[in-house]
Amino acid sequence: MQRTENLVSVFREIVGDAHVVADQDKLRSLAVDDVIPGLMVVPGTIAETSKVMAVAHGLGLAVLPRGGGTKMSLGGIPARADLILSTRRMNGYADYDIANLTIEVECGATVAEVQAKLSAEGEGYFLPLDPPHFREATIGGVVAANSNGPRRLLYGGLRDIILGNTAVLANGDIVHAGGKVMKNVASYDLTKLLIGSLGALGLICRTTFRIYLKPEAEATLFLAFADLKDADAFLHKALPSFYYPAALELLNAQAAAACRNLPPLSGEYIVAVGLEGIREAVERQIADMAEMGRKSGAQGTASLKGDGHRGFWISYSDFTDELTKSHSELIILKSNFAISRQTQVLAAAEKAVRKGGCECALACHAGSGILTTAILAGGDVAKKEREIIKIIEDMTDMAVKSDGNLVVEKAPRFIKENVSVWGKIGADVGLVKGLKEKFDSTGVINPGRYVGGI
Amino acid sequence: MEKESIIRELGKIVGETDVLTSEMELQIYGYDASLIKGKPDFVVIPESTEEVSRIARFAHQNKMLLIARGAGTSLSGGPVPNQGGIVMLMTRMNRILEIDLENQRIVVEPGAITLDIKAAAAKLGYLYQPDPASEKATTIGGNLAENSGGPLCFKYGVTSNHVLGAEMVLADGRIINVGGKSLDNPGLDLIGMITGSEGTLAIATKIILRIMPKNEGVKTLLAIFNTVEDGANTVSGIVKAGMVPATLEMLDNVAINAVDAFYKIGLPIDAAAMLLIELDGLQDGLDRLAEHVIAICKGNNVRDVKLAKTDAERDKLWMARKGAFGATGRLRPNYLVNDGTVPRTKLPETLRRVGEISKKYNVQIANVFHAGDGNLHPLILFDERDKDELDRVHKAAFEIMQLCVEMGGTITGEHGVGVEKLAALHLQFCPEDLAALENVKRTFDPDGILNPGKLNLMASEACGAKEIAYAEN
Repeated sequence: MQRTENLVSVFREIVGDAHVVADQDKLRSLAVDDVIPGLMVVPGTIAETSKVMAVAHGLGLAVLPRGGGTKMSLGGIPARADLILSTRRMNGYADYDIANLTIEVECGATVAEVQAKLSAEGEGYFLPLDPPHFREATIGGVVAANSNGPRRLLYGGLRDIILGNTAVLANGDIVHAGGKVMKNVASYDLTKLLIGSLGALGLICRTTFRIYLKPEAEATLFLAFADLKDADAFLHKALPSFYYPAALELLNAQAAAACRNLPPLSGEYIVAVGLEGIREAVERQIADMAEMGRKSGAQGTASLKGDGHRGFWISYSDFTDELTKSHSELIILKSNFAISRQTQVLAAAEKAVRKGGCECALACHAGSGILTTAILAGGDVAKKEREIIKIIEDMTDMAVKSDGNLVVEKAPRFIKENVSVWGKIGADVGLVKGLKEKFDSTGVINPGRYVGGI
Repeated sequence: MEKESIIRELGKIVGETDVLTSEMELQIYGYDASLIKGKPDFVVIPESTEEVSRIARFAHQNKMLLIARGAGTSLSGGPVPNQGGIVMLMTRMNRILEIDLENQRIVVEPGAITLDIKAAAAKLGYLYQPDPASEKATTIGGNLAENSGGPLCFKYGVTSNHVLGAEMVLADGRIINVGGKSLDNPGLDLIGMITGSEGTLAIATKIILRIMPKNEGVKTLLAIFNTVEDGANTVSGIVKAGMVPATLEMLDNVAINAVDAFYKIGLPIDAAAMLLIELDGLQDGLDRLAEHVIAICKGNNVRDVKLAKTDAERDKLWMARKGAFGATGRLRPNYLVNDGTVPRTKLPETLRRVGEISKKYNVQIANVFHAGDGNLHPLILFDERDKDELDRVHKAAFEIMQLCVEMGGTITGEHGVGVEKLAALHLQFCPEDLAALENVKRTFDPDGILNPGKLNLMASEACGAKEIAYAEN
């Protein structure tokens, strides 16, 4: 107790009295996998963050960074949690260069905050980033978790749209990687190394993104299919085409039911095609791709523009939140795989889940080979522990067989204790451990949570 | 180990005839397209991953330096064995292993020539997008090592956006796979780390690339301006209108003259700037976009603007850009090309100051650049036999790098640090940054065996960056 009181005063000195949280109830609510943190510190600047990290490093404290809290269930069970470092006060812009189409954002700003600001700018700009939970998710969390959305199909993923990162390392060093130009080969690409690192090598404090002017036209085309075979036939025509849709999403009925604004179409599977670009091109995409769908056996097609279209995509990004309202404890898995295998992976997921006596909502970034599975255990998850573990194992095998892997994004602790939350560990884990050893040898940041249990 | 026994051991791995040791052969593999020169002790030509692995293990066990090399087109000294060692020539591992259309991937060996890969994909209606100017000669392994760019980057990104996975041999000979055909593999982005690492971290032996379906339509335009500002403002105007052309390439007066003198394509030799613009996408609306581009050109005092109507016309417009380096190179015996990048809006000011640097050091500079992404290519022309001029060239080059950093950009956009820019790294990085970069090198290659003296500070400390960078004085 004496130690905690001392720590409180040390951190208050750095970040100010109001920004150190020691209230036990509050701290209990911030528990990660039931591990209750000792304190929460909320630095307001990168300089303060650097000082906090240096102190933590000196005292051997474990620091768990937290933004909007949407990724706290990701990763292994933390070995220790002395400190939650909340990034929410660092939410400004280090550089805001509309003319060059780049912005440098601090980690604690939410994706929604950034989008709102850009949208109000001149003729309207946007960040080509639409991750799940974008209203709460912060830039730092999204980058650390490599959390991409449907429109990566056209604009690329985080590794393609990020130009630079600034990070505070475990020892407090502030390190700059990349910059604000699109071409930059000055030494190693640390920028990419930090994306998806869950802070293992350093706390990502600022990120520079490429931004775009809003497209002239936008629309969504929906196609309903009775079975996976027909949906697959459509995807096999759409993917190699020159239509270049912005998003190509395959949803099962449970996932579709959790979205808003969906036109009344009957079918077990819905393909939602996001279209963006110049007016003439979007009109042609709607017409030609709907025809392509009908020829592949679509039972119905419909399109949406304007608020209806935008509302659908917002609800889609939050579909697991909607499911949470009716299912107390969701288990969320992310599989990645070679795109030709998508319907096999989907079918295998359905089979594994059914065998385990559960249901699932499936949402697949079909052009990118990413599947989000929300397992709906129905009632008490603890009673289905063994079945759920088996589902995760079966789905991991399938993803690995399909040139990919599987990450458990959210599950209760008793499940996480019994599965590999980062999927199959490859031979490259030695290098990951080696880098961790060099960047954070004492395991200050997120100990136990990253790949290989580092 | 004795030289003879090294040759014997290497011969056991790749076969006697694939170990080169004659003075002439060693000279051939001692340089690239930069001014940096060196000489290897041995050259070996592996034909398989297994052989590469065994060579690496041998080098590791005997603490010998190992430098992988493709076609040697690097412009920064990347593959130059300036500390000796074993040069491993990757050009015989040049197979296209798999064209996986369903997954939109192509799997190749590192020695495959970039244009051959593009051609193989194009035959099937797909594009491998990166298009470094040297694509006819460069190997994909070299592109990966240097993270090469090219004129299409404004829309499609650089090599690292298209390299998704690799099999690679580590410094101790271990073979591991990183990335893959799928996206978002959990764990650190090691494939992103390897790309652009100039062969200092690992040696790729199999590379998985993204290929994309060919666009339906393309529009190519060429605009001539009386001032560089008008050209640069046109670029800004196009981008501001929300267009993302595949290409926005500019040539200045010196380059225009050089190109026209060689290719005789009727360019106006008194023009200050030439801008090549290419739009691609669905046919629908593309005409309207091209008209919009023409209107923006006219709004910026364009002197003449042409829209290619046929493929032949398009090739002719491109010829001016693609031949620019070669044609400019004819003006003087040597040229040194910088490739700093600045934020696009800083281009007019940067070019004006490059002009001042040219006057200050009394060196002729031709500018050919990727205007969309702010990537400069000042070609500094000289005769290397004139030691005084050479000294002024190096000083001018260094000052241009300083200028790019001052403008908020980088010392190198696509040619790499290599040996040439080691002394400029500190312009861009603080000591903490450099320490972090060094930690990467130490993790992958603790003994400093792979391509030493390149890219990172650890290597530069070891060999004395400044001395090497100016060794050609």
